[in-house]
Amino acid sequence: MPPFDSTEGDRPRVSSHLSRGTLLKGSIAGLGALAGAAVGTTELAASPDAHGSAATDKEILTFGLLIERLQAAFYAEALRSAHLTGEVHQFAQVVGGQEQEHAKFLESALGSAAGNSPHFKFGDAVTDPAKFLATAISLEETGLGVYNGQGVNLTPASLAAAAKIVSVEARHTAWARALAGKLPAPVAVDATVSVTRAKQTFQPFIAS
Amino acid sequence: MTAGDGVRSLRLDDFDVDGAVRDTFEVMQCHTRSIFLRRTAGAGLAALGAVAAWPSEASAAATSDTAILNFALALEYLQASFYTEAERIGALHGALKQQADVVGGHERAHVKAFRQLLGSKAIKEPTFNFHGVTESADTFRTTAVAFEDLAAAAYKGQAPLIKSRSYLAGALAIHSVEARHAAWIRRLAGFLPAAKAFDEPLDAHEVVNIVNSTHFVTLQDPTTSSQTSPNFTG
Repeated sequence: MPPFDSTEGDRPRVSSHLSRGTLLKGSIAGLGALAGAAVGTTELAASPDAHGSAATDKEILTFGLLIERLQAAFYAEALRSAHLTGEVHQFAQVVGGQEQEHAKFLESALGSAAGNSPHFKFGDAVTDPAKFLATAISLEETGLGVYNGQGVNLTPASLAAAAKIVSVEARHTAWARALAGKLPAPVAVDATVSVTRAKQTFQPFIAS
Repeated sequence: MTAGDGVRSLRLDDFDVDGAVRDTFEVMQCHTRSIFLRRTAGAGLAALGAVAAWPSEASAAATSDTAILNFALALEYLQASFYTEAERIGALHGALKQQADVVGGHERAHVKAFRQLLGSKAIKEPTFNFHGVTESADTFRTTAVAFEDLAAAAYKGQAPLIKSRSYLAGALAIHSVEARHAAWIRRLAGFLPAAKAFDEPLDAHEVVNIVNSTHFVTLQDPTTSSQTSPNFTG
């Protein structure tokens, strides 16, 4: 897969790169503009261009792999322990399988940079069906928000590859919300989630 | 120009106020035509995804952000008009009516946002004729599934071509909302909301061919000059 250049010897610097405020401000300005702020046509040529680099791609996709591994493990454990039935069971089975495929895709793209998966602990989120659904929504919304926020930092080739995953995560999010009786699409423009906030959401589930 | 002379299909030229796209897409892929309503009911856009091609290097170099935003605006016009007509006709009830109301509101917000961004460069709203598909729950559902899967695939195809970081951020934030819409209506239509692990993109000429195959769009007032050669007359 040519989009991912897993250059050896690049140290993992996820937090320092991904939390750079200037990058996030760019995307927030864009959201604001599309959400209805008045923007003159003269700005059509004035916005800074999107760029990205192989090193940044690797950092972002490494975090994407954590998201996919966490989600895949979550659904696998819930299918074993939560006594899910009906459409919720179908949701866990279908979505869990797709998260595994995403993880495999990113592992293959990252090569040796993928590393081993951490161990996870989900507690009653995978034994209590009500908590399962609430946690599924949280994990899916968070994963989607991170992909959306980091998309502007990817090279076009990696963005093209990642976008094939992102819309599937959005479908998962909508499906989970529908099962919980919430609007599948509550807003016209999806918000982004920072890597820092995503780490806080994931922290309780990471055992090692 | 009389209405009779002026009625024609959507062309890529219509999104291309600066003329940047026009020379890039010259090959029609006729085999994607007419699939829209026949196949999407059972398979979503899986059949179309199979023939999707990555945008070429040439198109990446030549496509301007303005043309991409206008392309997105055209898709949003199409969807907004569809949901607005469904609401006006009032054939939908319950969960389906809620979907049409909420999603219609989103699509109208997208239209407004793109029009504001583009200002005087925004294309005009085409004339639509939905041939009655908004008049029953069954045909509404089938068409909405096709529209939403199409929109998600179209944004996915355009995103890597966008040069401006802020426009890209906005396009990505709408891309995932279109995917949520697709999942929502697919569930209401009895299809798996997420049928595959990877969603495939569609490039601009594939999207235009599909839209033209529906005959939902007629342009009576071309936005580009009449000396432009009609390369894409569907």
